[in-house]
Amino acid sequence: MSNLKVSITVNGERKEAEIEPRMLLVHFIREVAGLTGTHVGCDTTNCGACTVLLDGRAVKSCTVLAAQANGKKVTTIEGLSKGENKLHPVQKAFVDKHGLQCGFCTSGMIMTSFWLLNKKRKLSEEEIREAISGNLCRCTGYESIVDSIQEAERRMDESEEYIEEEIPARRGR
Amino acid sequence: MDLTEKLVSGKGNFVDDINMPGMLHLSFVRSPYARAKILRIKGGITWKDVDLKMASVGEGATKGFEYLEHPVLAKDYVGYVGQPVAAVYADSPYEAEDLAETSVEVDYEPLKAIVDPEMSLTAEPMYPGLKSNLLADKYLGADFEIKDAPVIIEDRFVNHRIATDPIEPRGIVAAYDGNRLTVWVSTQSVHSLKEGFCEIMHLEPESVRVIQTDTGGAFGLKGGIYPEYIVAAYLAMREKRPVKWIETRREHLLASRPGRGVVGKMKLYADRTGKILGIKGDVIVDSGAFAGGSGEFSARFIAMQLTGPYEIKNAYIHAMSVLTNKVPQGPYRGAGRPEAAFFIERMVDRLADELEMDPVEIRLKNATTAPYVSPTGLTVEASKPFLESAVKAMGYHDHVRKGNTGFGWFVLVPATMPGETARILVDGGTVKVWLGGNAHGQRHDLFVRSILSDELGIDPSVVEWQKGDTDQLEDGVGAWGSRSAMMGGSALVEAARKLRKEVENKYGKYSPQKLLEGKWDSYEFFHYDKPYNNLGANLITVHQDDLGVIHVRECISYYDLGKVLNMDNVIGQNAGGCAEGIGQTLYEGLMFDENGQMMTSSIADAGVVTADLVPRYKLLLHKSESSLPSRAKGLGEAPTIGTPVALARAIEVATGLRIRETPINPEYLLSAKKFH
Repeated sequence: MSNLKVSITVNGERKEAEIEPRMLLVHFIREVAGLTGTHVGCDTTNCGACTVLLDGRAVKSCTVLAAQANGKKVTTIEGLSKGENKLHPVQKAFVDKHGLQCGFCTSGMIMTSFWLLNKKRKLSEEEIREAISGNLCRCTGYESIVDSIQEAERRMDESEEYIEEEIPARRGR
Repeated sequence: MDLTEKLVSGKGNFVDDINMPGMLHLSFVRSPYARAKILRIKGGITWKDVDLKMASVGEGATKGFEYLEHPVLAKDYVGYVGQPVAAVYADSPYEAEDLAETSVEVDYEPLKAIVDPEMSLTAEPMYPGLKSNLLADKYLGADFEIKDAPVIIEDRFVNHRIATDPIEPRGIVAAYDGNRLTVWVSTQSVHSLKEGFCEIMHLEPESVRVIQTDTGGAFGLKGGIYPEYIVAAYLAMREKRPVKWIETRREHLLASRPGRGVVGKMKLYADRTGKILGIKGDVIVDSGAFAGGSGEFSARFIAMQLTGPYEIKNAYIHAMSVLTNKVPQGPYRGAGRPEAAFFIERMVDRLADELEMDPVEIRLKNATTAPYVSPTGLTVEASKPFLESAVKAMGYHDHVRKGNTGFGWFVLVPATMPGETARILVDGGTVKVWLGGNAHGQRHDLFVRSILSDELGIDPSVVEWQKGDTDQLEDGVGAWGSRSAMMGGSALVEAARKLRKEVENKYGKYSPQKLLEGKWDSYEFFHYDKPYNNLGANLITVHQDDLGVIHVRECISYYDLGKVLNMDNVIGQNAGGCAEGIGQTLYEGLMFDENGQMMTSSIADAGVVTADLVPRYKLLLHKSESSLPSRAKGLGEAPTIGTPVALARAIEVATGLRIRETPINPEYLLSAKKFH
């Protein structure tokens, strides 16, 4: 099959490349865009380590073809911090509340949390747990992650700076 | 940026993040059969290129059984589905995967697989020259007879195999400059990997360097060496190009060593007051198709712990590891400890039911009142005072009144021996630290900072914990078996004290300023060759909904940790371990059909718990002293030992069904029998 030309905006930067039609979005992000913060954990849409935003919607980039993202906007973990030393409140809260141990699931976990907090506030603990149930963590037992998300919510409430562009609801449940 | 700031920004350095010019990508052709003769292999890198056998290194490493060693690549026989048969390589991982499907032909003659470990005991030996399928066959304790024991209970329990499932699978990058092999790897021990490369590939120690990358969880999986790593090193040396291999999750489930997979057949003798008079038992470990996993070791390790925190005077246990047509068993967080606790604690709960006594009353009756060494060799301190304070602190009786409560306790046997190493390098105002065991998600950086700020009076922010590198620390053991804060911490304390002395000797008086102004290098091997066990207890309450689904409501740990070096560390280890204990008990299992084909196809099927399935965790500390330099006691595996026993009992109380296996999933509950 002949190669495809795609143009995908990753963290505000347009990336054009000729790719194999079968190339997964996660591999486009890691290999073509060179952003290795998005991880591959399972290949089957279960673990969520590869979660990114595609046109504002949280998706698992291991089961999206790069071709499906043609002409669209992708936000990865590297796109959250503003500048070298300015972590987003969600990232900062994960550091402060020990929302990570080995750090491998963290990028996906933070992207899901970021999407969640931009969509809805005043979340109950149950809603948070439900929302991150598509992201697996084997180290923390999730408690410190829930604490991190609650802390991030408080910090985002306090700061006008972090009202993002409109985030559409996730399809399905 | 410190380590965690990097990780939350996507700037970690995991092994798959490494890219080098000219890098080759490796992919494996694996056996589709659990047991087969290989008639012909055409194409790919095969045993003809890499005719080597695996060595046993890492946690639970065992020597011996030369002819049962795992071949790096299969020659004329395959013993499990997923066993590496050939390897292919290409400039991209996509191409390499294509080649694995298209460029290698293997003709097999399938043989009848031996899947069930108990059936393997009486099956024809798997290999010519063997008298039986026993890899390990030991008796612990002494045989005894108790005539007319008022109570005799017999039962059989199973902990099914479970995948270790770190969210980052295995992976390696190997490079060769003509003189020296350098590997970057996700690991718990760069030192055991170096030993493995040298032994398997007949390399001199100075020609191998092993560097740890950020390690995305391991839980026992990444302490040892695997065939794929040897092939990566071989290819890097042959082609003089860097080679990368990253495991897929499917490969992980099939071909990475899983934990558990143990059957316990128990017989308990007691009088009618609840005093245990003796135990007998068979421990049967599903070892897999080759020697060199932890199977041979774990049978006697489990047998040794079967007397639990109890004063059991008579014990006689037959410890067996048997060959089956599955991937060799390996350590998974707990590694034999949870199995032993499950078997003895289930029996003690059965005794309580038989005598209609409270489970804790039975436990108090059998607890030790002075330090005790059991007939199987388990060292226990006086466990009764611990149990009394646990029951009080956890509010056991209130919980029991409210219902659906399970309690379990255990002796944690950390892997203390032979101690651990540490190195402190002070230069340019920063203090770099290497430990002989390599963190894989435990955040060693936290306790390292706490120890050095205490010992050296320096600001924690100048301390930089380093990942493993065999060029930076000459030797070391590994991060497993609840040992890092105890043993690595003690080595670090000793190295810090040595450093303090050196500063004192030079300047007459120690001061943090003098230390930080200079250049200092301090190494310590803290040798330790005895057990240093501690006690722990867990309490769990559950709720069964109208559909019969079990929900964990409360999960309380009561542990003796000696001195808490860093509370965040301790909370993190407890919480993660409780989630894994709940996972094993309710959801996790690797299931096989009668042909040895795995029926578990994804990480979701394998049962890793999600955030909506676990409660908040409560950790209570038992106050005590540790005589180690670090003042710490073991922790990492404690929750994976105590949680399953407490949860199994809570489910028993809630459902009235006798629980004999994990995972206790809905299918199991439908098949379980009422006990009162």
